Amino acid sequence: MKTDDLISLLAQDAAPPPAAPVAQQAVLGVAFGFVGALILYLLALGPRADLMIRWQDPVVLAKTLLPLGLFALALVLSLRRVRPGAAMGKAARLVWLVPLMAAALFVWAFVATPPGERLVDFLGHSIPVCLPAINVLSLPILGGLIFALRRGAPVDPQLAGALAGLASAGLATALYSTFCTEDSPLFYATWYSLGIIFTAGLGAWAGGKWLRW
Amino acid sequence: MPDRNDRWSDLLRRGLRGDGAAYGAFLGEIAPVIRGIVRARTGGAEDAEDIVQEVLLAVHAKRHTWREDEPVTPWLYAIARYKAADAGRRRGRQGPQVPIHDLAEILPEEAGEATAARDLSVLLDRIDDRSARIVRAMGVEGRSAAEVGAEMNMTDGAVRVAYHRALVRLKDLAEGDAHPHLDKTS
Repeated sequence: MKTDDLISLLAQDAAPPPAAPVAQQAVLGVAFGFVGALILYLLALGPRADLMIRWQDPVVLAKTLLPLGLFALALVLSLRRVRPGAAMGKAARLVWLVPLMAAALFVWAFVATPPGERLVDFLGHSIPVCLPAINVLSLPILGGLIFALRRGAPVDPQLAGALAGLASAGLATALYSTFCTEDSPLFYATWYSLGIIFTAGLGAWAGGKWLRW
Repeated sequence: MPDRNDRWSDLLRRGLRGDGAAYGAFLGEIAPVIRGIVRARTGGAEDAEDIVQEVLLAVHAKRHTWREDEPVTPWLYAIARYKAADAGRRRGRQGPQVPIHDLAEILPEEAGEATAARDLSVLLDRIDDRSARIVRAMGVEGRSAAEVGAEMNMTDGAVRVAYHRALVRLKDLAEGDAHPHLDKTS
């Protein structure tokens, strides 16, 4: 086919099919995924009994709020990543605040904890629950988000997938943190981060596989 | 003279609201620029015009990802670069600029070469039934697109497109198998 013929063919079909913008679909995808994660959470985990009282301590509240912040920023970034040529904007710098604050909390806890208790707090008692739970709760959210992002046009599918992974893991970790009773940043700044990084890697792989176009 | 970006933004904006003439003008004006990008990126490949068409199709398929308040050129160039790189990778894997039509003749041999244990029929099991049926009819039994189309209730054009796509996928599958195999034996 000649290029000019292709152009006249395409021109007959100028208006895009009426469909919700990618951002709207992504919110829907995340919402569906979150319902899935919530069902898993309620079936297997459930909130800790003293959650409301514990949240009065900012160090405990941070273990829910930091992942939520990561979720919001990474979601915005992944949505920008699926529009070709879009600038990453402020969110790309702001998102680094999350690991910085996690690191700061870790250092603070290291200093504040008596030397004899540091290792105990660091290892906690629930690593074998924490890591898989964060990843499993992320999966439905990641699935919903990747599905929605397929309507976009990521020029770097792996990066877009990794950002989707970060967003999903952020939301899943915030949910998991309401079950987890390990309140020392020595524990959560380490093991939550590890779980989140793993999910981001999974997102990058999924992006390379399903976000090509 | 208004900036190219403003002009294209205006044409595309009108196109997205259903103005086919404006959209046609937009595609017509970007085509030579895309051709330039593709030539520069693929080192003047013989099938550059195919890649230009792929970019135009991609621009069309993803036109909803452009936001009217953003400049159109970065959006357009990002799509052109992505598609040119993608085409370059695919063609790189396939060897130097083999026109897709020629694959038909070499495919059975190459598939046999890829791993001794696999032959074309094993590869055909890994693609969807409809494509496999078309490849068998045209590539193995040597029947015409018109004949196959009549049988499968498709136009000859659609059969040819499906056939070419299936061949590209088979080629990828054959090569995907070849590499782990080489690693094991070396």
